[in-house]
Amino acid sequence: MTPALVRTTALARKELAHLRRDPQMLAFALVLPVILLLLFGYAISFDLDRIPLAVVDRDQTAQSRALKQRLTAGKLFVEIARASSTEAVEPLLRRGVARAALVIDADYARHVLRGEPAPVQLILDGADNSTAAVALGYATALARAEIPAPPVLPVEVRARALFNPGLRSAIFILPGLMTFILAMVAVMLTALTVAREYERGSMEQLFATPARRLEIILGKLGPYFVLGLVQVLLVLTVGVALFGLPVRGSLTLLFGVASLFLLAMLGQGLLISVVTRSQMIASQIAVLSTLLPSLLLSGFIFPISNMPLPLRILARIFPASHLVSALRAILLRGNGPAEVASDCVAIAAFFGVALIVTTRRFRRTVGA
Amino acid sequence: MSAPVIEVRRLTRRFGDFTAVDAVEFEVQPGEIFGYLGANGAGKSTTIRMLCGLLAPTEGHATVAGHDIARDPRAVKRAIGYMSQKFSLYLDLTPTENLSFFAGAYGLQGAERRRRVEAALVESELTERRDTLTRDLPGGVRQRLALVSARLHRPQVLFLDEPTAGVAPDARRAFWREIRALARAGTTLFVTTHHLDEAEFCGRVGLMVDGRLVALDTPDGLKKAHVPGVFLSVFAQGGDLREALRGVDGVLGLQPFGRRLRVRMAADAPLAGPEALAAHLRARGIDGVEVERGDASLEDVFLELVRRSEKQEA
Repeated sequence: MTPALVRTTALARKELAHLRRDPQMLAFALVLPVILLLLFGYAISFDLDRIPLAVVDRDQTAQSRALKQRLTAGKLFVEIARASSTEAVEPLLRRGVARAALVIDADYARHVLRGEPAPVQLILDGADNSTAAVALGYATALARAEIPAPPVLPVEVRARALFNPGLRSAIFILPGLMTFILAMVAVMLTALTVAREYERGSMEQLFATPARRLEIILGKLGPYFVLGLVQVLLVLTVGVALFGLPVRGSLTLLFGVASLFLLAMLGQGLLISVVTRSQMIASQIAVLSTLLPSLLLSGFIFPISNMPLPLRILARIFPASHLVSALRAILLRGNGPAEVASDCVAIAAFFGVALIVTTRRFRRTVGA
Repeated sequence: MSAPVIEVRRLTRRFGDFTAVDAVEFEVQPGEIFGYLGANGAGKSTTIRMLCGLLAPTEGHATVAGHDIARDPRAVKRAIGYMSQKFSLYLDLTPTENLSFFAGAYGLQGAERRRRVEAALVESELTERRDTLTRDLPGGVRQRLALVSARLHRPQVLFLDEPTAGVAPDARRAFWREIRALARAGTTLFVTTHHLDEAEFCGRVGLMVDGRLVALDTPDGLKKAHVPGVFLSVFAQGGDLREALRGVDGVLGLQPFGRRLRVRMAADAPLAGPEALAAHLRARGIDGVEVERGDASLEDVFLELVRRSEKQEA
């Protein structure tokens, strides 16, 4: 091994020893992602199906039973109660036992058989907007197929300009979630480990050895880079195994883009710690500077195209939005290098700027 | 005399308007223990950081082990060992992990690294506690381990910045025994301290006041030059000692020391002896007088020089 490599691996081995002594850090890096995945993944699928439905069938004919069956055949509605009147349904809705009620009038079959519009009422719990919206859309579509005229729907559903996760499936969320996890953990751990060297005064001791600045950075951050790649693998495995995440594009390309993103995040963490030199402040800035871009400005939850121009520009500066769109392109659409090239350039630019600023700062504050 | 290991010429470091180190000059010979004394903020650490290649000088230059500190700081770093004031070892690592990290950071590898780590563990008597966390070792043991780890790459010069700060007195003595053994074996040592009793162990001592090197000599030379004369330590049961000493010829200084009064007198003064001074004090009506011959200490030198430099500024 060349002396430079010996020094770099010595630093990396030391970092691994620190990690081994601090299991909370490792848990943060490896357990938190799985918990987040399960939370997001299952919360979303729970929202989408098994809406408790109360049924008032005043008609009691083959036609009315057919309508009810059509509605509950999918996973969306589950019949939990039968009532004789609309009044009897109301307490169920009020207590939240039922989230929707289907009311079929006594002359439903007659109207249907004559080919006339048949009155059917669907009562929805409007308190839960997104569930109500999904249920309404589904029920309307079904009713249209069943009978020629649309049913009367006397429920007012107020729409909010919020992204509705219920309309999207878990697989659309996963790229965003992966980005969030990678950004959070990489920036946080990097910021903490470098700030810790400053805090206990050991940074100067490191600079007193013949190790170069770049060797110190590579040695200290190398383990976290590998840890990040393990996270990518972890999220992919859980996504494929539990949520049926499709991997339509090249895995090599995916890991390539993820590696570039990790470099950018390590650069961001390094910059934060070199500037703040305190674990407490560094961790707070790390949370803020990753949470906002990767959660709100990445297209993970809110589509970027709906944002005002200043926010759109901000979203494009941070690498998170580019990783989300690249991951969606590779995983879901099976796109190749040409389609993700511009995202890669944007991430690399962020990394470059972070690296230049950090190196300057490093030289000025440590001397020599 | 062989060529000096450390050569410092008009070395200066400014931080904005503040001059931390002001045109300092000295040389250190191979195998010498060079003590660097001064109050906090006098410029000790700034000097040491420049000599270790950690901080570029504003003016002047210096060579350490033949390498220019400004032009080739990495060659300097390879040739020296450095124990900083704030940090000694990673407390969450074991002695073995600490040693093998520092060996690796100085480019040692493979069998050679393992051999030196093993030897260092034996030397610091830690072979049985090699896998204990450093945090759980007593302070004195940690300090010796830090010294051993700064020497793994066999540096020509060792820079120790306040190495005994916060170490128990008996451990401090053991530490200085090791330092003297190292010097005998040929290592050059540059030690900063604010324990003036420790400075007595140094071959030569440099005294920093407000960024300037105000004195540089052997401990005995410093005492002869700056606090000459005879020290008499006076104890009395009753009476005003200061009043009784007023008008006595050749009194150069008075300094309370516990319940005693240390009197410095010119060597040729008529009362410059214990018996003569005791007789004079009894004659002035002081009760229960005891007078003993004392020694000048570096503390006397230090106080004298600080007083002089304050007078100059005023």
